[in-house]
Amino acid sequence: MASGIENKVKNAKLVLLGDVGTGKSSIVLRFVKGQFVEFQESTIGAAFFSQTLAVNDETVKFEIWDTAGQERYHSLAPMYYRGAAAAIIVYDVTNAATFTRAKKWVQELQAQGTINTVMALAGNKSDLVEARQVTAEEAQAYAQENGLFFMETSAKTAINVNDVFYEIAKRFLQAQAQQQQNTNGMILTDRAANRTTSSSSCCS
Amino acid sequence: METHRSEKDRVVLVPFTDFDPAKLAGYSPAVPLTIRSLAVFTASEVETLIYVGTGGGKLILLSLNPTLPSTSSDDSSNAPPIAPVQFLRSATVSNRVIESINVLPEIRRVIVLSDGFLFLVDTLLLQSIRKLGFAKDVTAISKRVLQPDSSISDPFGDGAVRAEFSRYGQTFLQKFGGGIRVNGTASRVSELQRGAGTGCFLAAATGKKLLLIELFLPSNVDLDAEHGSISIRWKEIQGIEGVKTMVWVGDSIIVGTSEGYILFSDVTGKGSLIFSLPESSPPLVRPLLRSSDVLLLFDKVGVVSNALGHPVGGSLIFQYVPESIAELHPYVIVARDGRLDLYRKKTGVYVQSLSLKKSSVGPCIVANDDQGTGDILVIGTTYKAFCCRKVSPEEQIKDLLRKKHFKEAVYLAEEFESEGEMTKEMLSFVHAQVGFLLLFELHFEEAVDHFLLSESMDPSEIFSFIMRDPNRWSQLAPRKRYWGLHPPPVPLEQVVDDGLQAIQRAMFLRKAGIVNATDEDFILNPPSRADLLKSAIENIIRYLLVCREKELLPPVKEGVDTLLIYLYRALNRVPDMERLASSENSCVVEELETLLDGSGHLRTLAFLYASKGMHSKALTIWRILAKNYSTGLWEDPIASVDYDSNSTSDLLSGQRVAAAEASKLLQESSDQVLVLEHLGWIADINQECAILVLTSEKRSKQLSPEEVIASIDPKKVEIHQRYLQWLIEDQGSEEMHLHTLYALSLARSAIELVERDSKLDNHLAERSNEMSASDVANKGALTYHVREKLQLFLQASDLYDPEVVLKVVEGSELWLEKAILYRKMGLEELVLEILALKLEDCEAAEQYCAEIGRQDAYMQLLDMYLNPKDGKNPMFKAAVRLLHNHGEFLDPLLLLEKLSHEMPLQVASGIVLRMLRARFHHHLQGQVVHNISRAISLDTQLARLEERSRNVQINDESVCDSCHSRLGTKLFAMYPDDSIVCYKCYRRLGESTSARGHNFKENPIFKPGWLVTR
Repeated sequence: MASGIENKVKNAKLVLLGDVGTGKSSIVLRFVKGQFVEFQESTIGAAFFSQTLAVNDETVKFEIWDTAGQERYHSLAPMYYRGAAAAIIVYDVTNAATFTRAKKWVQELQAQGTINTVMALAGNKSDLVEARQVTAEEAQAYAQENGLFFMETSAKTAINVNDVFYEIAKRFLQAQAQQQQNTNGMILTDRAANRTTSSSSCCS
Repeated sequence: METHRSEKDRVVLVPFTDFDPAKLAGYSPAVPLTIRSLAVFTASEVETLIYVGTGGGKLILLSLNPTLPSTSSDDSSNAPPIAPVQFLRSATVSNRVIESINVLPEIRRVIVLSDGFLFLVDTLLLQSIRKLGFAKDVTAISKRVLQPDSSISDPFGDGAVRAEFSRYGQTFLQKFGGGIRVNGTASRVSELQRGAGTGCFLAAATGKKLLLIELFLPSNVDLDAEHGSISIRWKEIQGIEGVKTMVWVGDSIIVGTSEGYILFSDVTGKGSLIFSLPESSPPLVRPLLRSSDVLLLFDKVGVVSNALGHPVGGSLIFQYVPESIAELHPYVIVARDGRLDLYRKKTGVYVQSLSLKKSSVGPCIVANDDQGTGDILVIGTTYKAFCCRKVSPEEQIKDLLRKKHFKEAVYLAEEFESEGEMTKEMLSFVHAQVGFLLLFELHFEEAVDHFLLSESMDPSEIFSFIMRDPNRWSQLAPRKRYWGLHPPPVPLEQVVDDGLQAIQRAMFLRKAGIVNATDEDFILNPPSRADLLKSAIENIIRYLLVCREKELLPPVKEGVDTLLIYLYRALNRVPDMERLASSENSCVVEELETLLDGSGHLRTLAFLYASKGMHSKALTIWRILAKNYSTGLWEDPIASVDYDSNSTSDLLSGQRVAAAEASKLLQESSDQVLVLEHLGWIADINQECAILVLTSEKRSKQLSPEEVIASIDPKKVEIHQRYLQWLIEDQGSEEMHLHTLYALSLARSAIELVERDSKLDNHLAERSNEMSASDVANKGALTYHVREKLQLFLQASDLYDPEVVLKVVEGSELWLEKAILYRKMGLEELVLEILALKLEDCEAAEQYCAEIGRQDAYMQLLDMYLNPKDGKNPMFKAAVRLLHNHGEFLDPLLLLEKLSHEMPLQVASGIVLRMLRARFHHHLQGQVVHNISRAISLDTQLARLEERSRNVQINDESVCDSCHSRLGTKLFAMYPDDSIVCYKCYRRLGESTSARGHNFKENPIFKPGWLVTR
């Protein structure tokens, strides 16, 4: 019986990338421990966490690598995003430079050919409304262009933090299912499913 | 060497000796030797070999015996006769720096890198050194670390795997680079022989390529043979330059250059970048043997990667960029500038820091056995080397416990257990040990918490704290002394006294300025002896209660329960004590008897006796308690403060409880003597209890009714009666004398009650206003109830002797009872007389006549009504009623004749009128019946006519239902059930039984059409 449950747990390697001080560690801390520290120390090397998330009747176990944002550690990043099932690229909505840096990360990931990686763009510190430099629309547009999903988060107020991980888990499982189907020789049932969901939202 | 540590620091590494290799080897101090490389090899449990490579190309072999007492070269005053480190021999490899030394235990060789060349030498430096000429400009070298979980994990273990390994080994050696260049020696060993033997793989970085080298020693060659017998094969991988450090794990060779770390596959020969290094970050890679991972240094960060280059866990963050790194499972040790730091590999937690004495500061190398065995770490500085020993988890915990850091010790034990370095049993052991220490520290609650966490602890281990040794269970308790950190068990009182003394002492010492590790709280707020003792007992009770639920050996169970009572008694927790004693338990009564008796906990003792089946003793106690309740013995001393007004009711209730408890015991006892012995006093207190005892059906063997009845106090009528009732009604006894006895007893009670009622009535008449109406009603109800019971019994039972009963009731007013008795005796006249004249119960009298069933009975009754004796007037009403109801048997003229001539007409008219009406009524009734009968008769005739006029069609096939002959033209008859028979058969069968066997006389048929219904 236990093995039956274990079978449903899927491991997903997840990496957080982004400029220094954008709040990667805070997002992870919020997600894994539900905590927030006002003065989070700068990450050195990479920190590792794991957290499980239940999506419907499946469980995803995230193995999370929270990388250091400092430029000196940039060269370490490939080791962490190589083979990752998901990446969260974090920028700080109050700092336009971090958004530029985030775009660079996206480019780097795309250049590495990590097509199967679920990529999320997270505009963190969304609670700091007055200091905002990057609009949600701008980021959304960029995300859409590049096939990322985008959310504005706040590790401090916990807004959207769990949602980002939940959405990643969902997309990860979908991708896995699709891969499974492809290997089974079934093609493109996903599109039909999308259509039904869109029509139902149309009625509402 | 000094150890720097904060309060929280743990001692994992303990320096135990140091040495100067030059001095030991006897080199002149004029030519100083510098330590440039180190290797450690655990040759056996008592010998560890240390190889020291010097700046001048010398290889010094030292032997360390870690079991010898520790020493330091500075500690000359107390130097032991044998130093743990001894010089074995030395060899000159080259005249340049020895950069690395690798021990190859598989082939009993050591490979040394110096001056860009590789040198092979035997482990004991006995043979000549052989230079491997094919490798030049070697910058780094690494042994291959085999992954324990892969199929090639144990290539030298058994034949099959070895064969696989050999094939595999050849595969990768043959795969790339235009053929294998084998040196001359290898050709001596035939390929066939390669299947058996031991070997190892090395990787060396030379200039612009990597060399993969296999050193193979066939099994038919002595391990200590000349180098010539070793076959050496190698392979090249091109395209890498400037390798400074390298590790070969499984099929991956990870090399570090100043640009970064590159992973090469020994199968494909292809390399891929793991990550690049920024400027001024020196590359350093170390294998982590246990997990087959590698540690890659990036600045002061240790990145852990698996053999495939994927990250494993978070980074280890050191406080500086280390010069040297070693793994001493489960720790990673980094060193720089004479400082050593220990980190937990898995969590990256900083554990311990050691720093070498300032005088010896210089470049620092740490080395340990690279087989992953051994607990020795050697630290080399420029001139001096230091040996440290890894303290085992047990020793680390012990150390913390000695310092009374209990929480830390437990935390550490849990950590060790969770990481698989300590067994679960050991964790249980630690919990128990901590528990005992805390107990002696007077922290009883925490102590018990730890006892409960220990799965291996047996409750008998704490028995000696409760009952002084030697006791019944002394032999039972396992003689576990744990780590001997606590004194042997003594009774809790003494534990508390000793503990308090220790606190006193500590306070005194503190005043004198000496601080020791005594509990701060206790010193600031010295606890009272009573509080401590109470806490101790309460917590031990808590422990024993939890233990009770576990599966224990019977003697341990006995100990637990007995000592629980013991402890409850100490705290005077009477309800708990009694609850335990009265429930299922394993107490040893002999241990508690005198104790409980002495302290007056008689109730508990009684419960205990009862639960152990010692009913006689239990009952004796209940009897004593019932008698002595007035002296207050029963009382709960806490409750004795109660108001006086309550105490009388309590007294009563106490006695009742005693009686109830005794009765419970007796209800199950088949011991007649015991039952009868105690019945008396129970009955004195509570008759209901006595009745329950007598009428219990729980006992296996019933009591003898004769003896029970004989023993019942004749005054206890209720018991007597209820017992007889039970015997007769529930047990269905048919003993005549029992029935008679019951009838007599009921009769006597009834008489008594009737007499009392009549007195009461008189009384009431005298002073009616003083008696409440309900009182009277109650009394009446009781009388009624008893009499009803008597009457029912007299009517229902045929087994009593009516004459005997009659004798008792004869003189009383129990007329109905008398009537029943006369009836039993068949004295009809007397019965009728009582019913008709005495009780004037016409209905009952008529009923009785109906029972007699003879006409003359009615006439007798009528006669009685009309001629009552004792000067009574004739009872005309009853007579008329009788005539009305049963007139068919009687002559109304008799009544009329009786009417007195003097009777006034208006009085007589009523009677006459009623009589005439009755007659008329009877007449009409008769007419109605007559007419109804006629109607039925007519219907019947009609039905008969219809039945007889039925037509029946027969044909050629029709046969007689009886003889089955064809009817043809024969005369035939048909029965009402439609069966047809020939005339002959009809004559034979007769009219009343049809051919189908229907007997119309016995079982008439009615057809739906007929009006006649029954």
